[in-house]
Amino acid sequence: MKYILLAFCLLCSSLLIAQEKYSLRGTIKDVNNGETLLGATVFLKGTSNGAVTNEYGFFSLTAAKGNYTIIISYIGFESITQDIQLDSDQTLNFELKESATSLNEVVIVAEESEQVSIKKPQMSVSKLNAGTIKQMPAVLGEVDVIKSLQMLPGVTNNGEGSSGFNVRGGAVDQNLVLLDEAIIYNTSHFFGFFSVFNADAIKDIKLYKGDIPAKFGGRVSSVLDVRQKDGNNKNFNINGGIGLISSRLAVEGPIVKDKGSFLIAGRTSYAHLFMKASEDLKDDKISFYDLNLKANYEINKNNKVYLSGYFGRDVFNLSKIIENTYGNATANLRWNHIFNDKLFSNLSLIYSKYDYQIILDFIELDWIADIKNYNLKYDFKYYLSDKVKLEFGASGISYKLNPGEVRPTSQSSPINYLKLDQKRAFEGGLYVSAEHQITNKLTAQYGLRYSTFSRLGGQSISNYLNDQPVVYNSQLDIYERGEEISQTAYSKSESIQNFDNFEPRLGLSYQLNEASSVKASVTKSTQYLHLLSNTSSVTPLDVWTPSGKYIKPQRSTQYAIGYYKNFKDKAYALEVETYYKTIDNRIDYIDGSDLIGNNTIETEILNGEARAYGLEVLLRKNKGKFTGWLAYTLSKSEQRTLGGQAGGPGINDGNWYNTPYDRTHDISLTGMYKLNNKWSFSSNIVFQTGRPVTYPNGQYNYEGFSVATFSNRNEDRLPAYHRLDISATYTPNNKPDKRWKGEWVFGIYNLYNRKNAASITFTQNDQTGLNEATRLSIFGLIPSVSYNFKF
Amino acid sequence: MKTHIKLIILLVALAFTACEDVIDVDVPTGQTRLVIEGSLDWEKGTTGNNQTIKLSTSTPYFQTATIPIVTGASVKVTNIDTNQEFIFIDQNDGTYTISNFVPIIGNTYNLEVIHNNETYTATETLTAVSEINSVTQSLEGGFDDELLEVNVYFDDPADEDNFYLFSFYEQGDLFSTIEDLSDEFVNGNEIHNFFEKDDDDDNDQAPFQAGDIVDIQLYGISEGYYNYVRILIEQYYGGGDPFSSTAAEVRGNCINETNSDNYAYGYFRVTEVVKTSYTFE
Repeated sequence: MKYILLAFCLLCSSLLIAQEKYSLRGTIKDVNNGETLLGATVFLKGTSNGAVTNEYGFFSLTAAKGNYTIIISYIGFESITQDIQLDSDQTLNFELKESATSLNEVVIVAEESEQVSIKKPQMSVSKLNAGTIKQMPAVLGEVDVIKSLQMLPGVTNNGEGSSGFNVRGGAVDQNLVLLDEAIIYNTSHFFGFFSVFNADAIKDIKLYKGDIPAKFGGRVSSVLDVRQKDGNNKNFNINGGIGLISSRLAVEGPIVKDKGSFLIAGRTSYAHLFMKASEDLKDDKISFYDLNLKANYEINKNNKVYLSGYFGRDVFNLSKIIENTYGNATANLRWNHIFNDKLFSNLSLIYSKYDYQIILDFIELDWIADIKNYNLKYDFKYYLSDKVKLEFGASGISYKLNPGEVRPTSQSSPINYLKLDQKRAFEGGLYVSAEHQITNKLTAQYGLRYSTFSRLGGQSISNYLNDQPVVYNSQLDIYERGEEISQTAYSKSESIQNFDNFEPRLGLSYQLNEASSVKASVTKSTQYLHLLSNTSSVTPLDVWTPSGKYIKPQRSTQYAIGYYKNFKDKAYALEVETYYKTIDNRIDYIDGSDLIGNNTIETEILNGEARAYGLEVLLRKNKGKFTGWLAYTLSKSEQRTLGGQAGGPGINDGNWYNTPYDRTHDISLTGMYKLNNKWSFSSNIVFQTGRPVTYPNGQYNYEGFSVATFSNRNEDRLPAYHRLDISATYTPNNKPDKRWKGEWVFGIYNLYNRKNAASITFTQNDQTGLNEATRLSIFGLIPSVSYNFKF
Repeated sequence: MKTHIKLIILLVALAFTACEDVIDVDVPTGQTRLVIEGSLDWEKGTTGNNQTIKLSTSTPYFQTATIPIVTGASVKVTNIDTNQEFIFIDQNDGTYTISNFVPIIGNTYNLEVIHNNETYTATETLTAVSEINSVTQSLEGGFDDELLEVNVYFDDPADEDNFYLFSFYEQGDLFSTIEDLSDEFVNGNEIHNFFEKDDDDDNDQAPFQAGDIVDIQLYGISEGYYNYVRILIEQYYGGGDPFSSTAAEVRGNCINETNSDNYAYGYFRVTEVVKTSYTFE
């Protein structure tokens, strides 16, 4: 409540200083293809008055009546300087031209590198654009958004071949991943080897590691906001690439010139084509594909509609043994409406689905699980004055979860039909936030999100003896399932449990001088959906579950402070941030928990807490032939799970233990060097503390086997992870008048062939009877070549 | 089920130039504990009078010396339903035996071991098992259509939760292969399990061929033992891979009544077992 009062007072104070003011609004686009530019800056020279374009390229700013010089700039584009006379409210659209020298240059843009953003209170955000990502060396040459993000401070994952990513010591399921506003539930292809984002279809990627704006909610660690390209509204364009793993093709063009455009991008792997040719493998199939779609149409200057969609699928068939498919599907219909010079709005109707199917022929079992949601949201941006911008809106998400359905695949199958309870839930959100320039040096961003969550009926919920779904067996010192005493049936019109939370967000920026600033933020957020995974790596099979009677919403509070500095005429930028984060109600699984096909997950979990803290340093070089960045993270991420209602000391005797994604040190260096117009080179160096694991601390002989005993949870570590990748891009002499433009990308991943342990398994050799430790290393030295084209 | 998912993921991993090698790892050393291998298994069609309980102690993980045996302990089993006591005789080789044990299906037995003046106890109920309906061989089933496997069929009783332990042992091998099964997805049906060996370059294990003999054992086990052996099997065959649940010490059912912190490893199980052998044709 005090936050609301504070916000109100601040607002009033700024409204009192009224003079004769006019507003200027417009859209900023790329002159070549009509693609709207988000994050471009509009600046009135000689004042501190400026604006940054939003996700739809729209800006609005207000200034006192007068004559100004307006500067429009966007990294990699030539700036526009124009004199304007501001004596009425007006609309001015700008089209920027790509700077001739900038192809393959200066492509990483962190917002803070811009003049205005040193002031902007938004912190803990990392931005990558598709150009940078395409240049970074990648496994098998397969451009990967999520792996590129891991080169930034505070972002890691559980190693090669594991799905998702971890932000600031948070779990994979604590990231809200949005593709054109639609939730992506699984970000990986091939069980984690590649990511679902096709770089050809993507315009912009923003990762909020903290200080999450009030318009986002539902996850406690981060928001990854990925925006698809709109499509070229001036000319037809085709670009594509041929790589070792997949090929890509994107077609874009105008629907009506300068009014509307479309983009269709596809990507498919083709290992299965080679497999078909092989006698041994002709019945097998390993493949994935993606389809990205986008269309937009400008009805008039105040109304624009967008339709975007994504459909991706993984197929894995091993003849007569396993058939496995999974994938995400999303669709989003949006309507941008500009009410007046100051009020911009967007209404979205969004659908997302993730489904997973596995057919095990040898036991004649067919397993299906899915999660889907509809989301209606209405967002407003109100450019109240030159000092205050307001954002507010509402959203409602309706979830339907089918955690699992088991079917026999034949008449003779021994499998009984089983359907786990369908789960339904509704998540509501209301938010308001302000970006407020309090003095010339001090800017604040404060907001409040109010979230609600209703777990809806249509299923039965088990009740347990003494209300204990998990019981501590003090004699054996183990946790066991509680005794179910009855079930309560809830009809579809009833709700099983309701939650609501206030989530204040506050960020401050104080500008020390033209080139440096300090920022601080506090963010509270709540997460109502949880991914059930008791393995150290997330797999596509893991199911999502909503909060309810036994699983409480996760709630986090994150504090962060940072220092930002541009130096040497903005050629270099330094960002230093430190954070401390706590998460309540983080569930963990009792020893030996069994989650598959389990209707009563509450009997396998205990409620705990997590905390993470760290220091992140990012030093970037933005200009010149050599660009790149050095990222260092020092951090700790741990959790504790007490017995609570179940009694007993809890998991790991109630002591804090490392989360599987705790990494003490994480260093990455990414460099790009442009030798001349034909050749450019890039390289990654990564060093990371090994993943926490539990090693055996003894053995005993049981039934003829050597059985391992284990030490405390996650007390040991795999050996450190490090590698070096290089790549070179060769652009043949492309004549400017020739439509066809091509480039070759050669790469070597893991140049010195480091055998990084993805895991170490401890087993007894069945020939010698001796215990041994076996290291699984996934990617050794991998050369690659791919060809990209555009015409 | 989860094992199969792991199999897929590892296969995909291997498709990407993954490699496995044996390395040296420094592992911690925990406390040495008593190990109670109290397996009272009543083979169908026998009297079940002869039973053995083994006692030993745990060792560091990579220790290759022989397992230290425990002698001089006192071992006693009591049938709680009949109050009949069975005293096991120390053979001074780590085994304690009896020749007049009386197994009764559904009866509950209590184990008492006294070692170093500390008393360990455990309780378990004798769990019955169905007869094996048939044992066959096939080429088409299993994981690989070109390799022979042996199939076992038996009926699962409806209206109750049943838990099973399988042991498949090819004569001449060093180790048997054990598998756990619950009737969770197959309650009341005829259950089919198979055992197929693949030829693996790493350990030149030969797949089955005519003349090979496989010893098959099917145990009816309690839910408690199932929970124990399930985790033990998961850890034994892949402890530490990223797709298995976080490794943790598996606690058996033996309680140290004198000093609860000094608990014992192992399990006191009382099962019924059917044993058969199959010779490949």
